[in-house]
Amino acid sequence: MSGLRQTAAVCLIGIGTLRERHATALVIVVGMACVVGVLTSMLSVTAGFARAFVRPEDATLAMVWRGEGSRFDQARGLQPDAVATIMDAPGIARSPDGAPLADGEFLMWIPPIEGFAAGSLQVRGVGPAGIALRPAFRIVAGHMFRAGARELVVGVGAARKFGLTVGSEVRLRDGPWPIVGIFSCGADIIESYLVGDAITVMAARRRAGFAEVIAQLADAGAYPGFRRWLMENPALSVYVERKTDYDLRELGINTSFFTRMSYVIGAIIALGALFGVVKIMYAAVRARTREIGTLRAIGFGATPVVVSVLAEAALLGAIGALLGAAIAWLMFNGREMWVWGAFRLRVAPSLWMLGLVWAVVSSLLGGLLPALRAGRLPPVEALRVE
Amino acid sequence: MLRFIPLVWAGVWRNKSESALMLLALSVGFTLFGTMIAVNAAYEQAIDDAKMDRLVVACAFDCGSIPLGYREQLGRIPHVTAVGAVVWIGEHEQDAQHPITITFVDEGIRSAWPELPMSPADWRALDVTQTGIFLTRKAAARRNVRVGDALTMYSGPQGTLDGTGIYHFTVLGFIPDPPGWRSAGGGPSEIIIGNLRYAQNWGPPDERDRASILRVAVDRPENARGVCREIEAWYTNASPALYCLPARADAQETAEANINMRQISLGIGAAGLFMILFLCANGIAESVRERLREFGVLEAMGYREGHIATLVILEAAIPTLLAAFIGGVMASGVDALVAHLALTGVIEMPEMRSSLVAFGWALAAALLIALLSAVAPLYRLRHSEVAAVVAGL
Repeated sequence: MSGLRQTAAVCLIGIGTLRERHATALVIVVGMACVVGVLTSMLSVTAGFARAFVRPEDATLAMVWRGEGSRFDQARGLQPDAVATIMDAPGIARSPDGAPLADGEFLMWIPPIEGFAAGSLQVRGVGPAGIALRPAFRIVAGHMFRAGARELVVGVGAARKFGLTVGSEVRLRDGPWPIVGIFSCGADIIESYLVGDAITVMAARRRAGFAEVIAQLADAGAYPGFRRWLMENPALSVYVERKTDYDLRELGINTSFFTRMSYVIGAIIALGALFGVVKIMYAAVRARTREIGTLRAIGFGATPVVVSVLAEAALLGAIGALLGAAIAWLMFNGREMWVWGAFRLRVAPSLWMLGLVWAVVSSLLGGLLPALRAGRLPPVEALRVE
Repeated sequence: MLRFIPLVWAGVWRNKSESALMLLALSVGFTLFGTMIAVNAAYEQAIDDAKMDRLVVACAFDCGSIPLGYREQLGRIPHVTAVGAVVWIGEHEQDAQHPITITFVDEGIRSAWPELPMSPADWRALDVTQTGIFLTRKAAARRNVRVGDALTMYSGPQGTLDGTGIYHFTVLGFIPDPPGWRSAGGGPSEIIIGNLRYAQNWGPPDERDRASILRVAVDRPENARGVCREIEAWYTNASPALYCLPARADAQETAEANINMRQISLGIGAAGLFMILFLCANGIAESVRERLREFGVLEAMGYREGHIATLVILEAAIPTLLAAFIGGVMASGVDALVAHLALTGVIEMPEMRSSLVAFGWALAAALLIALLSAVAPLYRLRHSEVAAVVAGL
């Protein structure tokens, strides 16, 4: 019998006897389910956050802001004359009426609603091109705010979180502003804000200036020229970056703690499970000593025996991983969360794969020493074991 | 009970390598559980430390700064007992990799924020040395500074009166980390206290006579909300308008905002316990299954059911309690790692402190797990016939 066939045969025998050892097998499955469940649940936060903040459809958008490195949405660095100059930059796409598809915008904190943390609710001031830059923007209730009017629309995320609806009012500096509509925007982070006419909101807050200009480029190739034109303009002193690059960088900064924490916790719980797997697999080898001795006595090699123990550990780990990921998916996938804005948790396929690899590697490491012991069992002594 | 110990000990160490592995697995599980309890306790402690009768007052719209003149006006509101001003100025020390923010405070902070752990001598020293600073012990350890050392901060172009942006400080002493949410009111993650007069005299002219926030103390916690409403009403049409939050409400709401580590820590802790439970239950079930004859012999010798149950429960409890103790000790190390990760991230997280609470919970969980693990093996023993067991049937 060839080595491969021997290996397959021993693996099948080992897996066939799992029914008699179902209790110990269950410990590995449950242990790995806990490991993968915890890991994927935690990372689903980062995955959901990434989906809301970094959007592939923004690949041809560019951000322009004042200062270096990090943009601050609450900043007021860009005065209206600077915004007008930025609109003249080459490479900006045009709307059918010939207007540049670029918009000066800002965010403004408003006083906290009782029961929510300060800074939770923000108003985004957008200009005429603000909606055109967001093709997924839809009014789902009420109507759009009118330019020049003291009106706001609220995103579906903020509406759910703060219990706002058409007819509600929020207090801005010059008094209460009515909410005249609710909008959705393809799960974009803007759904977590109130949105109003930038110039009117600016007048209400009695302080001029935009935080950034968002520009739709004619195509991806237009970016270098657009950037050079703006960066080399000494009158502007602005910083330019592709929106997706900027968002990715910010995402890394904002989620670094949680991502690292997820892996630290995943590693700790996997270490516990790994020790458990070693213990269980030693017990499994002990329970199968006579069977292994018999196989060795009738001519099976040590390698197939080693592989069969490792295969059993990996199989149980994989089942546990799928179970853990499935539980995490059922419990968390699509659940809404609020971290600097509304987003949905996402147990993405990549997380299922990560969990599977995590569990199988842990199980293989845990099964290694018992497998080597099984391979080294002298057949004669193994057959004598009661 | 003592006479059972040799029997139990022999049972626990029947198979030394497997028992050691079991102990390791349980210890790691309890390390995770202990860490998660500590994370949760840190949030609870931070909220408890934040007082309801301390208010944080900031500008309501388009946050800039507040005129210092508001201090006196706020002091005249009924039930207000003290008002103090805080100015945050910061950017970095020698380079951008070493960020720093100084919390400049005025004399009023002594009464408005008495939780700030500075002694009367510290206040006197700060009063007479305009460029003096007090660092919390962690902030000092991070910079390896001693009393009398000089510290320089660059606050960006136009950050100072002369346009250089450079502030020079002298280290006057060290203070413990003040209790409460470490960034209550939107402040920096580490506290270095400076003299407000230095910020006023050396800061940029347009920021003179202005504060980042005002801290207000009220006479009784139940008056806090009312005073806040009054402050907001007074300044609705002012420039800037103000909003006001009791420090405790701020801490509570901040804990619920962002990523809710309290809820997450409980979920992870529960998953860790579930894993431990399965492992322990399997270990004890296996031990009893392999020693059925031994238990049969004990029963034949006159051991009653209660004695046998005690033996089994003790055999489950000894490794779990030992693991809970080891895990509790190891969790202190992991707490430090989590605290370090939190410092390097932007997440709002309170100070982690090793606590007896985590130990207590871990020991209680260990006992519960031992009891639950013993249920199935005891059921099996109870339904076994002595004669059949001794005969090995």
